[in-house]
Amino acid sequence: MNNIAFTVALPLLAAFLLPIISNSSKSAARFIGPFVLLAMLGFSLAYFNMLEHPVAIALGGFRPPLGITFHLDNLSLLMASIIPLIMLVLWPYANIEGYREESLLLLLAGSASGLALSGDLFNIYVFYELLSVASFGLAAANRTGAAFAATFRYLVMSGLGTVLALTGIGLIYTQTGTLNLAHIGLLASQLNNPAGLSAFALIVIGIGVKAEIFPVNGWVPEVYSTASPRISALLAGLISKLAVLVIVRLLVVAYQGPEALTLLLVLGMLGIIWGELSAWRSKDLKRMLSFSSIGQLGMVLVAFSIPGEAGMVAGIAMMLHHLVVKPGLFMLTEHWNGSLNKLAGAAKSSPLAAVLFMLFALSLIGVPPFPGFWAKLLLVTGLVEANTPLYLTALAVLLSATVIEAHYLMHTAIRMYSKGKKKQVKKLHQTPFTLTIISVFAVVLITALITMAPLGNKLQHIAAESSDRALYINTTFAARHTPVRKQISLIKQQSKVQ
Amino acid sequence: MTTDLIHWLLYGGAMGLIVIGIVGVVTLNNIFRIVLALAIAEAGANLLLVIAGYRFDAIAPILTGSSANQLMVDPVPQAMVLTSIVIGVGIQALALALVVKVYQNYKTLDIGEIHQQLSTDIDNSSGVISLLSSEQPAGERPLPEPSAQHETAQLNQGGDK
Amino acid sequence: MRNVSALVFASGLAFLLLVITWQFVVGGAPMLIGEAILQQGADKIGSANLVTSVVLGYRGIDTLGEIAILFTASTATSLVLSSLSAKTSSSKKVVIRDDGTILASSASLFFPLLITLGMYIILHGHLTPGGGFQGGVILAAAFFLPLLAVPGRGVNHSGLALVEGFAGASFIIIGIIALFQGNAFLQPFFGHGEMGSLVSAGTLPLLYTAVGLKVGAELSGLLANLAEIGEIVPESTDLQASSMQTESNGS
Repeated sequence: MNNIAFTVALPLLAAFLLPIISNSSKSAARFIGPFVLLAMLGFSLAYFNMLEHPVAIALGGFRPPLGITFHLDNLSLLMASIIPLIMLVLWPYANIEGYREESLLLLLAGSASGLALSGDLFNIYVFYELLSVASFGLAAANRTGAAFAATFRYLVMSGLGTVLALTGIGLIYTQTGTLNLAHIGLLASQLNNPAGLSAFALIVIGIGVKAEIFPVNGWVPEVYSTASPRISALLAGLISKLAVLVIVRLLVVAYQGPEALTLLLVLGMLGIIWGELSAWRSKDLKRMLSFSSIGQLGMVLVAFSIPGEAGMVAGIAMMLHHLVVKPGLFMLTEHWNGSLNKLAGAAKSSPLAAVLFMLFALSLIGVPPFPGFWAKLLLVTGLVEANTPLYLTALAVLLSATVIEAHYLMHTAIRMYSKGKKKQVKKLHQTPFTLTIISVFAVVLITALITMAPLGNKLQHIAAESSDRALYINTTFAARHTPVRKQISLIKQQSKVQ
Repeated sequence: MTTDLIHWLLYGGAMGLIVIGIVGVVTLNNIFRIVLALAIAEAGANLLLVIAGYRFDAIAPILTGSSANQLMVDPVPQAMVLTSIVIGVGIQALALALVVKVYQNYKTLDIGEIHQQLSTDIDNSSGVISLLSSEQPAGERPLPEPSAQHETAQLNQGGDK
Repeated sequence: MRNVSALVFASGLAFLLLVITWQFVVGGAPMLIGEAILQQGADKIGSANLVTSVVLGYRGIDTLGEIAILFTASTATSLVLSSLSAKTSSSKKVVIRDDGTILASSASLFFPLLITLGMYIILHGHLTPGGGFQGGVILAAAFFLPLLAVPGRGVNHSGLALVEGFAGASFIIIGIIALFQGNAFLQPFFGHGEMGSLVSAGTLPLLYTAVGLKVGAELSGLLANLAEIGEIVPESTDLQASSMQTESNGS
């Protein structure tokens, strides 16, 4: 009964019915969103606890590779549990305007968990598109002229990405004749040619629009400064990571050659350079954070381009770290939305917020003992071990980016603690509600700091599991329509035989 | 020879549509035309998918009495194209709605001008003075007075709410 | 500058794509899953139209995502446009223009025909080419035609929302029923029936009806939304002028 398909089906069902429900009772409609998110959380956590071994679920009861499979391993279930969690924290409880925004948020949640779980290339594309369209709606929800213009540019860039990704999928289909990721993995040797590799490049650039990858991230500062901070936090924190996850899956399963890794490495380095330099030059907090998020995602990409498990560990660590820190920082801009100069005196007006900013900033820079330091350490050791000229260049880029990051973040922090004009300082007051949300992220960060050792072990385990190509393929092909417990025992028997 | 030509025409046609669309999106200035260019590129990608499932001398994958042992084309790309066409329709409708709203707010369809006004708006809303900004308009057009700009921005924002 | 870099990017892409194209052979793609579905699709699902088997059976969840995208797009569109209708409807009354008796009466003449054709195509989606999407578009056309003939005529948005919501929900609920029967999500049930007859292929016709109604309602809503702004956008000459100006700037 407990089926993971509910994490996709329930939010979509609720979103479809919301217009009708809100017509009859507005107050009932308000409760549906959080309730559905809680249910999603319950389903994914239940699976997360039960999971000893990765399993694949055949949707529609058709055996892979014919049907679509959901791939359940620690990484995908982790993401599937984070989605409702982070959306519950960022849910606009107080100032939800109408059912439309709520609908869009639920659709975003459903498509995001579909994206995290899906094991089929075209299905990933469909969920990615659903995610995109929902995020366009949310980005324009402010309804200012600037928001419309920014969303339009975002939509055009995203649309281009869609075309490129679809072309890539078409190329893969012409080369292999299949869409299931595991099946593509089995036929990976057929993709080791110009057509296959350019398919990967096309998909990376296409999906990379959401992942804020270097050449297609022009929309980032505009959308994040015109959308409401919650939406920016969701897009920068959660959605970008899901897009990265898709690229990582494709990389692990089908493209283990050096060309694909080099592509990611170069794009990541360019992203770091461009993002951090622009963040350094920017004069207001929102744009600074947007550009810094581009830089951070560049680092994530560099981490995943390190071959083997080392890269996977570093990548996942960087990803999760950014996922916690960036939403917290973006929520600060709810009231601190002015230029950096106007932030003077912010610490006096709401001291807690300033402390939280310092905490996030220090972790983002990678000052020990904060979690960001350990993530960056993993990345640095990974790069040193890879030890080719290109990876060492990436190391140099990373280290100098960290210096730049430290400069602009600390510069901002110093501004906050300097004296400001009284009239302006009053405006900088953060409401208790926003502060609570931000503190949630801070608490998660501090918990991570305290439980660093077990967390590290768990990460190693997740990374080992998700960088194992053979495991992914075997899991998918073992998928039958049998209850999960039976499947697990079945896989165990199979692995004993082998 | 002729089949080679046909091969090349089909694939070249699909790729050509994609390229035409993309060139259109990146070079055109009118936002309405950009939406159209996007539609062309999407059509190219869809065509590529359909061709991927094509076979010579094959029939549509529908089982009727007479089609028992005939070769059929691949049904999977057809289902995929169906999906992607519908997705394209949704995105284009949203894009057109945004075009209308952008035009109503900025009174122009030129993407360059829209970008210009957008960054001014963002600058104004965050209180960064545009004259100090590094994103000055390249070229001859002088910037309006900062105070005037501020007013128009507030007007714009006030009008939308 | 923007144009130069864009052109460099585009020409690089064009070169890449055309080089790849050179290697391909039309009809030479390996059809691994396609072939397998052609062979066993009829036995497994019982639909004469194998594309329908793929759309609703093998890749059912794609279709769910697809109708969700349409729904999202129409929700987002009405969200984007709603500020406008709230603001202008009071100040600017929409005028119902009568563009002639011939147009209006032929639109109402076509209405039942289009509805019948749309429903026919939806219901025969598992037997003949067509199905929920194609039929749904025709249904939308039926509702949109009167709007084109007599601009400014209102559309019953709440009725559309009702159809839209229940059709979408029933698609998911059929999927969940399969789950509760101990099968997988969206697994077809109800038995195959005799292939080629109207009542066959299990739940596929039901699913396609839901899809058809959903697509029809969704597209009508979208088109009506866009048509309503068409009436309100001021200074249509201005729009032309600015586009012409854009052209001269571009060249």
